[in-house]
Amino acid sequence: MGIRLYQEPQLENPILVASWPGIGNIGIIAVDTLRRILRAEEFGEIAPWDFFYPKQVLIRKGVLEYLEFPSSKFYFKRAGGKDIIFFIGEEQPTEGGRMYAEGRKAYHMANLVLDVAEKFKCCRVYTSGAAVALIHHTTKPRVWAVPNSESLIPEIRGYRNTVLMSDIEGRGGHGNITGLNGLLLGVAKKRGFEAICLMGEIPVYLQGLPLSYPKASKSVLEVLCRSLEIEVNLDKLDELDQKVERRIEEFYQQIPLEIRGQLDKLKHVAYAQPAEPGPITEEEEKRIMEGVEKFFKKRGEGG
Amino acid sequence: MSQGYPITIHKEVELRQSSLVLGWSEDGGNLGRKATDYLNRKLKGQEFAEIEPEDFFPFGGVGIRDNLAQFSESKFYACSEHELVVCQSDSPGAEWYKFLNSVLDVAEHCCRVKELYIIGAMVSLSAHTTPRRLLAVVNSAEMKEVLSRYELAIDMDYQTPPGGRPTLNSFLLWMAKGRNILGVTLWVPIPFYLAAMEDAQAQKKVLSFVNERLDLKIDFSDLDQEIREQNEKLALARSRFPQIDDYINRLESNLMLSEEENGELIKKIEDFLREGA
Repeated sequence: MGIRLYQEPQLENPILVASWPGIGNIGIIAVDTLRRILRAEEFGEIAPWDFFYPKQVLIRKGVLEYLEFPSSKFYFKRAGGKDIIFFIGEEQPTEGGRMYAEGRKAYHMANLVLDVAEKFKCCRVYTSGAAVALIHHTTKPRVWAVPNSESLIPEIRGYRNTVLMSDIEGRGGHGNITGLNGLLLGVAKKRGFEAICLMGEIPVYLQGLPLSYPKASKSVLEVLCRSLEIEVNLDKLDELDQKVERRIEEFYQQIPLEIRGQLDKLKHVAYAQPAEPGPITEEEEKRIMEGVEKFFKKRGEGG
Repeated sequence: MSQGYPITIHKEVELRQSSLVLGWSEDGGNLGRKATDYLNRKLKGQEFAEIEPEDFFPFGGVGIRDNLAQFSESKFYACSEHELVVCQSDSPGAEWYKFLNSVLDVAEHCCRVKELYIIGAMVSLSAHTTPRRLLAVVNSAEMKEVLSRYELAIDMDYQTPPGGRPTLNSFLLWMAKGRNILGVTLWVPIPFYLAAMEDAQAQKKVLSFVNERLDLKIDFSDLDQEIREQNEKLALARSRFPQIDDYINRLESNLMLSEEENGELIKKIEDFLREGA
């Protein structure tokens, strides 16, 4: 039970980049896109039985042929003079119908991933997820970076289009990262790995929709690639973004004019300097949040 | 036994090459519970083991059934004369792999089970007057061959649709295959308006197969009487309520009812049967 490695690649102080699904699938799309572009090679997995309920059965002519479980796989690739290990978890191990992993299973899963990091002497861990923000979907999402060590802050300050939690207005440097994309950061700290979680911003009014948000995945990937010192072509992600953008626009037009008018103000939000006064007032921010909540509540009631 | 698995053995049983029949307590038409109760009653099943519930069931209170508080349980009964083990269990809400391994541990290590029969109900849009069928899904070509001489439909093609999940029965069947235990899920379609009640015809259908396959020599006269009574009650409901009769007539003519009509038929039948006809 646990980890199954099909081969033991010779890696030199690799960097682990891990992600699980979450809001807008921002992190997992970013990490999986990079894995695909680099054509990383699969070399191991975490056995699913203790974590997941099966996701698919195939019965042919009355005979159960196979049962498929959500996968949790490791890949490796050398790029930009660095060895990279990718970990892609197809689902978060949830208990009791929750959306995100928590509790014993989540902790166990995080430790198994870091067991592999330890075995191959990883020097750093990246995770990735979503940051729900008061932004408009036509603006370029920023990346919120959360390190697990003080020593990483100067490096993060040098990343483009990236902010620390203390740069986010009204947050005072505080917040939380739900699920395994966050938990891995904490467990990494406990086990002595330096780690950074990169979270792409998603507009607050899109967080509950069953849509991916590749625009934010691209922002994450830009930061990650610069940090890893690799150059990749992100055209595929742009294509995906254009498709999703059309669906978002359709949804956006269904929002009542009064609320949309408030949301339109977010188009003019430009986060140049964190210390500068915001381009929308606190009162407007409150009205936007109330409008969004009211709209979703109404949608929920109406089925 | 797998280490750390929460199984309590109350009594050692002497079985050499047994079969396990498993039914879930909360099944459509109460099929799993009623069929396993029937086997235990007729074959004098003796409880000998259980799976401790704490890892598998939520403890947010208790359910109530037939006026009585219930507690989640997973119990095993031995019908030693017939080389038969009966398991009646609530469906676990967590740790499914561990739970199903526990079931198979008892089966394999305590009872030397060679064949597994899982009872399952499928909600059907057909009328209660349509003869019940028995559909089977097996876990090996060998089991298909073994069962080919029985009146079973073993030709289902199925793939979990997007957003769906396999049943616990498929999960168990697949795990049994991993232990080289021949297994089959026996699915009986139950008319949707009886799904929350009981369906004696469905019970008879699945039990008749088990009886024949395992040579249990069960006398079904009491179950036949239940079927007659149920049919009489449903006939009475049709004669008293033209609306019910109309809906069932349409189902008998292979016509679909609207969602609203389905709901109305369910409510009227359930009310009628609960009020004791």
